[in-house]
Amino acid sequence: MRGAWSRPLAGLSPRAGAGLWAASFLAPLLIWCAVSYLPFVWHPMVRVTDPGDSTWLTPNLLVEKAAFNAENAEAAAQHARPAVGVPSNPVFLPAPHEVVRALVTGFTTPPARPEEPWLHESLWHSIKVIFWGFLVSSLIGVPLGILCGALPAMGRATEPFIEFFRYLPAPAFGALAVAVLGIEDAPKVAIIFIGTFFQQVLVIANTTRRVDPALLEAAETLGASRRVLITRVVVPGVISDIYTDMRVLLGWAWTYLIVAELIGVSSGITYFINQQAKYRAYERVFASIFLIGLIGLVTDLVLASLGRQLFPWLRTARQGWFSSMVARMRGRAGTSAAEAAGGEGDVTAAPEEVARA
Amino acid sequence: MIAGEPSHLDQAPEVRARFTKLKQRPVILDVRDLGKTFTAPGRPPTLALDRISFQLHRRELACVIGPSGCGKSTLARLVAGLEEPSGGEMLLDGKPIHGPGADRGMVFQSYTLFPWLTVLKNVMFGLEVSGTSSSSEAIGEAKLWLELVGLSKFASAYPHQLSGGMKQRVAIARALANRPRILLMDEPFGALDAQTRCQMQSYLLQIWKQVDITIMFITHDLDEAVYLADRILILDAHPGRLREVMEVAVPRPRGPDQFLEPTFIAARRHLEDLIHPRSAQAADKLPLFHMAAAGDDIE
Repeated sequence: MRGAWSRPLAGLSPRAGAGLWAASFLAPLLIWCAVSYLPFVWHPMVRVTDPGDSTWLTPNLLVEKAAFNAENAEAAAQHARPAVGVPSNPVFLPAPHEVVRALVTGFTTPPARPEEPWLHESLWHSIKVIFWGFLVSSLIGVPLGILCGALPAMGRATEPFIEFFRYLPAPAFGALAVAVLGIEDAPKVAIIFIGTFFQQVLVIANTTRRVDPALLEAAETLGASRRVLITRVVVPGVISDIYTDMRVLLGWAWTYLIVAELIGVSSGITYFINQQAKYRAYERVFASIFLIGLIGLVTDLVLASLGRQLFPWLRTARQGWFSSMVARMRGRAGTSAAEAAGGEGDVTAAPEEVARA
Repeated sequence: MIAGEPSHLDQAPEVRARFTKLKQRPVILDVRDLGKTFTAPGRPPTLALDRISFQLHRRELACVIGPSGCGKSTLARLVAGLEEPSGGEMLLDGKPIHGPGADRGMVFQSYTLFPWLTVLKNVMFGLEVSGTSSSSEAIGEAKLWLELVGLSKFASAYPHQLSGGMKQRVAIARALANRPRILLMDEPFGALDAQTRCQMQSYLLQIWKQVDITIMFITHDLDEAVYLADRILILDAHPGRLREVMEVAVPRPRGPDQFLEPTFIAARRHLEDLIHPRSAQAADKLPLFHMAAAGDDIE
């Protein structure tokens, strides 16, 4: 049907979905290619190939088009040999192939100075900072958020302050964090923590409040105590939604990374990017930024795929690499656990069509 | 006490004998002068239930019926302990009721199976929570109850894979697995289509026959009440008062073919007269409009 896509909430065929997914990446890439490779699109600069008789132009120099033309006009007036050059983009916009080359060579090229870290070392350092910041935040924030959501008294006593605190920009605590925690990684982890924690408590408390009260009542009539209500009804009832929240929150944590790494001794991918910018190696700057995006995207895709397998009771659930990995690990670890699970019935294998019988 | 008197004093002798026998059984639930007033800030308090008194006997299946807003759901929730009464008392086996407990099972109108547990684990929930039986005992017992409701095949399915009727059968099994003294059912089949509802009523009668359980069944469906109940508690609305306790003369075992028998029709007619008086039944005449083109009149 013509224009079916324009209907709100219209369904997508898997093929169309995959195509659009690819198109969302291809479109910006095409624009970038056009700007880089088509001389008439932008190219405000000229890269000199032959300086001619000019006194100040040198080969490979980037000059503004106007200055280049003025120099040649002067040369023509004095019957001197004109300079030759090709239109090109400013140094801060490298072409796609240069960035791709930088991506590949980035991992094999040793740092300019021996005391500087390699690209992969910088990335690994950044990932560690994110990991610890997010882990510490989650270890406190998730239980606190669940309690605030489940117990209105607790929420009332905690959330107003947190609501206030989350408006304080995390980077503002940079100087304080350095004063308290030193100049190494601890203050960076603290900034990630401050940036994540307060949002996390509020988001998870809100998610927890969406638990179906009828389920709580049902559990009460089955003899559940108040503690059991939280551990066996509230927590499992909202855990899959909290998982989705955590994916979003992890993305936010990444946005605090750059600021966090500027605090104290600059480190990680931020330090790497700044160094490359100093060397005017903008293709490496682009490559590094691109890598951050790639790590974020891949992490999220993996977590999304894991989520579909962790919660077999959801409609979107499916079996996949995670359960087969677990099965393989169980098989290697011994058969007793697998037998115990088998005794209770294979929980993930209930076929939909039987239910319709 | 007028409310407790049988409404059919001119019952046939065998029917009267049946109910005399029923009332000689031990009293499971004793409700005395139960009252419930809802108060909300900024609004006048509403009297939902006004001095309700009745007794349910062991293995009795009683239906509670009344117009919407008569507080029949509130009555079930009070007995379950999910609401606090404003007055009167409720005794279960002679002991006063305080708060919810495993001795009173409940099946709700909305589906309340835990979506994250398999059918079997749902049925095991009460057993695990009480901690009285070991895990393997609980599995065995839960399987037994699933068999009783005919859903053994679905032990490892998740609730979202079941139809509405199946979900309610699991909910019944889950409530019964706790071995409650009384099963409260708050319009459990209200969300089901007519055909499934009819099936579920037959299932319930079969289950009730095999289990030592007293049932208080809330409904607004007259046929359902007559089909299921030994006695029907008829409530008035605004305020909710017990109007009459009706003894259903339709003999057991009951079956769908009884719907057309004179005793069934008589009982139903009696209920209807009490709940929807003939005068109130006719819909108000709507104002007359001429929206259809000439010649399209259908009457």
